[in-house]
Amino acid sequence: MSSSLLRPPSHLPPATALHNSQQAPNILNNSPGAVSTSVIQSLLSTSESQELWTTYENLLLSLLRTGDDDSAHLCLARLAKRFGDDNERVMALKGLIKEADANDTATLEIILKEYDQILQDNPTNLPIVKRRVALLRSMGRTPESITALISLLDVSPTDAEAWAELADLYFSQGLYSQAIFALEEVLVLQPNAWNVHARLGEMLLMASKTSDAPRHLAEALKRFSRSIELCDDYLRGYYGLKLTTTQLLSEPQKASKQTEPDELAVPSSATVQKLDEAATEKLAEIVRRHTAGERDWQGYEEAEITAARELLEKASEKTVR
Amino acid sequence: MARLPVQTIQRDPQLFYWILFPITVVMVLTGILRHYATVLMATSPKKLDQKTMREQRSMLHGVATRSNFHVLSGPSFRARRDYLTNAYETGAFLKSPDQRGQPPPNPMTDPGAMDGMMGMMKNNMAMMIPNTLIMSWINAFFSGFVIIKLPFPITVKFKSMLQAGVATREMDPRWMSSISWYFLCIFGLQSVFNFLLGSDNAASQMAQQMGGMGPQAGAQMFGPGVDPDKQFKIETENLAVVEHYSVLDGVEDRLLEGIMSK
Repeated sequence: MSSSLLRPPSHLPPATALHNSQQAPNILNNSPGAVSTSVIQSLLSTSESQELWTTYENLLLSLLRTGDDDSAHLCLARLAKRFGDDNERVMALKGLIKEADANDTATLEIILKEYDQILQDNPTNLPIVKRRVALLRSMGRTPESITALISLLDVSPTDAEAWAELADLYFSQGLYSQAIFALEEVLVLQPNAWNVHARLGEMLLMASKTSDAPRHLAEALKRFSRSIELCDDYLRGYYGLKLTTTQLLSEPQKASKQTEPDELAVPSSATVQKLDEAATEKLAEIVRRHTAGERDWQGYEEAEITAARELLEKASEKTVR
Repeated sequence: MARLPVQTIQRDPQLFYWILFPITVVMVLTGILRHYATVLMATSPKKLDQKTMREQRSMLHGVATRSNFHVLSGPSFRARRDYLTNAYETGAFLKSPDQRGQPPPNPMTDPGAMDGMMGMMKNNMAMMIPNTLIMSWINAFFSGFVIIKLPFPITVKFKSMLQAGVATREMDPRWMSSISWYFLCIFGLQSVFNFLLGSDNAASQMAQQMGGMGPQAGAQMFGPGVDPDKQFKIETENLAVVEHYSVLDGVEDRLLEGIMSK
């Protein structure tokens, strides 16, 4: 049983997802359909493990992604048999399958009605609340989706996943400052998530194009630095750092007036210069070693490497000119 | 001092089949039975209604903000602090805002609290009744039997522990009485239960007692008889005294130092 099935498959590359779902017949045949609850049998047979059910859940998601709906239904049936039809997670998975089966908007509307019905009976059914948000979003009704998410976060403000989704929704609407706020909430809950630091840096960098450039750029620089500090060789962090320093160096910022005493200030241009050099060097190293096929440097995604290479080429063109 | 002659006691080998073995089997079976009784009697955790969940998670949100304030920049931390402090003080997160200032309900009359207590009672009962029964069973049938000799020497101090129920002063403490074997089983069968029932079983009482200590902290925070309004006030003060600094202060210098030193 491959270990990739034990982790949530949301960010797996397509090849791995396909590989996982190709394993499905094997897993479905070899694993027990339902673990008996009778005392004697459970003494004799191997005991059920948590991994088994995690595998089923993740397998189901991979199967839906690769379009093997029949096996997905089988997975769901086994999960439902074990945990009961009224288990919250099973309910959410069931809704997910229905959404996948739906062909037109009318069917989706019916599913949405069902979710509303479930939530009327039990407003704290968080998996269903989240499904509803996702369904609204996929139906293109982003503002409603944001409203639903906000009411969820009012009840449960410690849900980092929901905050991250809210940030993404706001970002898709171009509301940078709201998105930044939501991402900061994610960081409050998960203070050492370097990818969130980098993501926040990216948002700040984009926000700096629209308003209040020096402050946003300064914070973006610091966010990227923090994410690299937390995770060495983090390509996205270095990439963002390089972009930010290029921006800062190309248009020298006038010293922003310090409105508040502890506002983040843009570091001195010497520091920015040094950071720029360091980032360029590191990006070059990552690209070189990845392309050379060194064994420890293969973890990067191909697209990110390509982007980094292009960025470097563009930068060197500029210096040549 | 002359070496004491090795004591030998002629034991009927049947003692093994009729005392040692039955006691062990009975102990293992009770453990398994207790496990399944606990599983059957366990009530599923009570579902929180929306308002309680909001109250508790808002509290935790404040705690998270207070303990991870360093990831935020100065202005964004102050904005959050002002919002949380204001909401805590006006009681915006309270489950029932109109009950502010009133003393919390008596936990004995609160039906929600009764559930928790009943659960504890049940667990204790599942522990106590079989133990009492088995102990009296052993006392009635097997008291005074010396059943095995430990394969290692042991000091006299253990005599009262190992030879409970056998009132012989001169006997080597290595000899064990049946009631002592029972006690040894109580404490020693944990690994057997782990093997039979998996590691999170409810069979052994040692694990139960340990487990009893663990979740106390979580229960106390939101437990019955705690006034959430007071907790919010405390949290407000905690937030107010936070002296803000940010990890972002000087992070670029730290980073450059780190890169340079490599």
